Amino acid sequence: MPLLAACGGSDSGSREGTTSGKDAKKILPAYMASNVVAPDIPAKNGSAMGFTGKLDLAALKTSVPKALGKGGKVTVMSPFWGSPPKADNAYYRGMNSLIGVDVVWQNQDGNTYDQKLGAVLASSDVPDVVVVPGWNMTGRIPSAIISKFADLGPYLSGDAVKEYPNLAAIPTDAWQRSIFGGRLLGLPQPSPYVTGIVPLYRKDIFDKQGYTVPRSADEFMALAKEITDAKAKRWACLDMKWTAWQMFGVFSGSEKPLGWNLVDGKLVNRVETDEYLEALEWTRKLFAAGVVHPDAKLGKTAPDPGPKFAAGEFLIYANNISQWWGRTAEQATQNPEFKVWGMDVFAHDGGDPHLWAEQPAGIFAFVNKKASESVIRDVLAVANVTAAPYGTKEYMMTNYGVEGTHYTVKDGVPVKTDKGNNEVSNAYVMVASPAATIAHPDFPAVAKAQVEWQQRAGSFTRKSSFYGMQITEPARYTNLSDGFEQLEDDITRGRKKISDMQQAVSDWKSKGGDKLRDWYRKLLDDNGTAAS
Amino acid sequence: MSTTLEKPARRPAGTSGPWSAPPRPAWEEEPGRAGLAGKSLVLALACLGILFPIWIVVVTSLSSRRTIDEAGGLVMIPKGITFVAYEELLSGGQVTRAAVISVLITLVGTLFSMAVSVLCAYGLSRTGSLGHRWLLLALLATMFFSAGLIPTYLLVQSLGLTDSYLALILPSAISVFNILVLRGFFMGISQELTDSARIDGAGDFRILWQIVMPLSRAVLAVITLFYAVGYWSAWFNASLYLNDQDMMPLQNVMIQLVQKQEAPVGLGQAIKTGQLSGLAVQMAVMVMALLPVAVLSPFVQKHFKKGMLTGAVKG
Amino acid sequence: MAHSTVPRSDAEADETANTPAAPGGAEGARRKPPSGRLSLRLRFRRDRVLLLMTLPAVLLVLVFSYVPILGNVVAFQDYDPYVSDNGIVSILHSPWVGFDNFQRIFADSAFWDAVRNTLVLFSLQLVLYFPIPIVLALLINSVVRPKVRALSQAILYLPHFFSWVLVIAVFQQLFGGAGLLSQLLRQHGYDGLDIMTDPGTFKFLITAESVWKDAGWGIIVFLAALASVPTDLYEAAAMDGAGRWRRMWHVTLPALRPVIALLLVLRVGDALTVGFEQILLQRDAVGPGASEVLDTFVWWNGVRNQDFGYAAAAGLVKGVVSLGLVLAANKVAHLMGEQGVYKK
Repeated sequence: MPLLAACGGSDSGSREGTTSGKDAKKILPAYMASNVVAPDIPAKNGSAMGFTGKLDLAALKTSVPKALGKGGKVTVMSPFWGSPPKADNAYYRGMNSLIGVDVVWQNQDGNTYDQKLGAVLASSDVPDVVVVPGWNMTGRIPSAIISKFADLGPYLSGDAVKEYPNLAAIPTDAWQRSIFGGRLLGLPQPSPYVTGIVPLYRKDIFDKQGYTVPRSADEFMALAKEITDAKAKRWACLDMKWTAWQMFGVFSGSEKPLGWNLVDGKLVNRVETDEYLEALEWTRKLFAAGVVHPDAKLGKTAPDPGPKFAAGEFLIYANNISQWWGRTAEQATQNPEFKVWGMDVFAHDGGDPHLWAEQPAGIFAFVNKKASESVIRDVLAVANVTAAPYGTKEYMMTNYGVEGTHYTVKDGVPVKTDKGNNEVSNAYVMVASPAATIAHPDFPAVAKAQVEWQQRAGSFTRKSSFYGMQITEPARYTNLSDGFEQLEDDITRGRKKISDMQQAVSDWKSKGGDKLRDWYRKLLDDNGTAAS
Repeated sequence: MSTTLEKPARRPAGTSGPWSAPPRPAWEEEPGRAGLAGKSLVLALACLGILFPIWIVVVTSLSSRRTIDEAGGLVMIPKGITFVAYEELLSGGQVTRAAVISVLITLVGTLFSMAVSVLCAYGLSRTGSLGHRWLLLALLATMFFSAGLIPTYLLVQSLGLTDSYLALILPSAISVFNILVLRGFFMGISQELTDSARIDGAGDFRILWQIVMPLSRAVLAVITLFYAVGYWSAWFNASLYLNDQDMMPLQNVMIQLVQKQEAPVGLGQAIKTGQLSGLAVQMAVMVMALLPVAVLSPFVQKHFKKGMLTGAVKG
Repeated sequence: MAHSTVPRSDAEADETANTPAAPGGAEGARRKPPSGRLSLRLRFRRDRVLLLMTLPAVLLVLVFSYVPILGNVVAFQDYDPYVSDNGIVSILHSPWVGFDNFQRIFADSAFWDAVRNTLVLFSLQLVLYFPIPIVLALLINSVVRPKVRALSQAILYLPHFFSWVLVIAVFQQLFGGAGLLSQLLRQHGYDGLDIMTDPGTFKFLITAESVWKDAGWGIIVFLAALASVPTDLYEAAAMDGAGRWRRMWHVTLPALRPVIALLLVLRVGDALTVGFEQILLQRDAVGPGASEVLDTFVWWNGVRNQDFGYAAAAGLVKGVVSLGLVLAANKVAHLMGEQGVYKK
């Protein structure tokens, strides 16, 4: 079973490499667009499409006329950020009856998901469905994905997908990313290729105190010092490492292949660049200046930022763009003055930033190889509902829950209730989604701002050499870069020095980094690049 | 103490009854005022160092969100008592379930561990019985090595114990050391008693149940407490072998809620919007974890020295 | 066994509880004579109930202590947990790599960090751990009021029964970034102090936590040793005019010496095992550079990174060195005329 295929092998069934061109065409599902409502802001520059107009809740379309589920039971393990609801709740019940499948959620802490994932995949009882974000595909996880999950090709390749019209409307580049080891294994969550990480800030407090949004690294630092008043339990921000990557134009770190890019004809990894070290150094200074909330020192195990952000203990933090709306909806009923907004990303010197594209799909749901056909059909029934486009009853149910329970309608606008905020979060949206969509009928202004933010950032975004490909590295290199994330956190928090990173990088090169470079080079020569 | 000459002790003013000092031996000087004060101070500080943190935890758990905000965090001096944190916590389901799971594991596990240990200790308590030396040696040897985390993990996983409560009980069910302590006590029981029972036709099970165990109540109490505390406090095996978050015992839920400061299931929204103090909820979880131990251990305390002398030696 | 007067029953408990494998001698005389003459069959008939009683424990030990030893073969493999659904089947399908994992370990600076942290923590705990229980024991021993004695012991013992999760949570509330100390400092115009995430002082924090949890429990053995000092020694010393301090120096401390020596020796045997759970719970807060010890190194690489072969190799190195230390420590204990964990 331990098969060490030749470098860059793109033959189907191989455990390493990537699948492209003709091989991929045979596997990919056919595309069949199905926009129920025309977007107010069409996708541009890698943004999502935006719906900012008023949604006529009475005229929602039905995209799944008859529940496709056969009433079976499907267990799903998925990362969950924040505090999960009770296992038996109105949202899950409502979704399940809409789908016709009894979905049982095994939610795991999203921040430490990688710790559980490896153990679960090695055990004999893998759940029917496992959701794996791309950034958790470290170590041996990619090889586990290839050996533990079912080939969905027979159900979805070519015209077969048309049985599930909402899945057929998922863009092909997202499906392309779902091919692992030559087979179609994943159900993708399409995402805009514009970076998903936004520096979010408390606009209400900024306005009240007269703070201006910074436009350079120095301005940020100065503002952070101005904001911080530890005695009053107020700090400027959390760990701004991700924002620093953006400011200094560091290649993406969200997935290993994105960290490589062709620079003057030579493949360079992000850890080898000066920008990487500069971004680390800036973040280190931020911590050293004492402007970072103490919680952030905990690194990966830091608590959910929600409550302390709402309490104003810190005013800025970098996180997924979805929290822009999430936090807004969360606080709307209890704290009406609360306002969160996203800062435009800036270059460290105050000029235009150099951003790097993320993958067009970053989170995948996989089906256990041992699942029977009826379970697989049930899973696809789930995905067909969760992938329903904006403007359908299914979309509304997936994203807002049950009317009257999870949201109430006020002047034709849905308002999430406390129960809705507790229960309608994560879970179903993790299993296949429609083409990247931003639509918040409860806060259209936020939706508009989000899409515009993406389009502005998108105009500064470039694609690196391995954009769009799903690449499985050779097993012998998979643990090679595992130490960097920890080292980054150690350096920024002052526990290690920049020189330790330089040492680690040179160790990395000699222990296989250079060989890995050759491997990627061959892959590039064989498959070409999507970079632009 | 009892053999020495005695002289009436001078009692410090204001003390009487059970708190008063018994007579001091003749050769011992009366402690000086400064010495006494110093001694009391050190001892009091040591005890305070243990009680004060517990006090803060308990008081904060019983404080309202307003009191906590006013204190800027932890509350030292209570201003009115509210059980709101406990009510919310227990209504959420997650902590209640975890507490029930922990209690059940502790009960079942302790019973199982005690049964296996007592039987084994008795089975090995007669020197010269068949295989006695070899079995003893085989048990003893495990105190010198451990197979290691990885092989044990792979074994438990291969046995299909993942996501099973058996994984929290079986691998750590017995402590060889506890068996040795029990065995030592059983061997100290008068041979005549057991012999006469045997002549009356009693089998080994009956002798163990009717004679040996009633005579060993002290050591049984101590070992039971030790096993129980072990099960109640355990979290690592659960983190290793349980994947289903709904199966987690209280300690693991405490890691999530207190150390990682996650909001309890169902209370996320209330805490995020400031309707409920996250801190009070955290403290309430801690109180729930310490309560059974703090209540039970003093009852067993009088047996500690007797039962666990060697236990302390081993550390 | 009744529990009447403290000192006497202590001495008794000591004697009886400490005789795991002590054939012959006084005990043998009290028991039935060793029955080497009886045939195996007869002895089996006679002792079968006893054997039956040991069976559950023997099975548990066999399955969970002995069988896993074999699993250490993965240290010589590039073990892939995903080639099958069963850990044991995966062993059969994983490639053998000889001593590769061991070579990698010895070249891994993180491993040597873990070794260094383990040894530093061990020495620190050794130095700081002993004096406190001894002082407390002497203090309590000199208290004559029985109620004060019982109450202070009850309080001092208490944290021993707390879980590590709880102990660390308590420390977090006192010394964390949002803890009481920081809160008070900030209210008085100073910067907050976050001891829980400071790698520089982490080893002291770990030691402080173990002292808080277990120092009170540690006094139990010293109290017993103190109680067993014959009072006529004190009497004689007092008659010779020795004052309080001189009696402590010449009578009390010499009486404690064997116990201290024994505890020291036993702790050395355990040197490579320092606070696994305790450190694992705090590893993320200070980063592995300051906190990784050998056991957490094994956990991280195996359970967390699924590099089981590598982790098992590290575990095996630790296990072998530990076994050597334990045996050596017991040897020393025997040379000192003490019992150690086992008896010859």
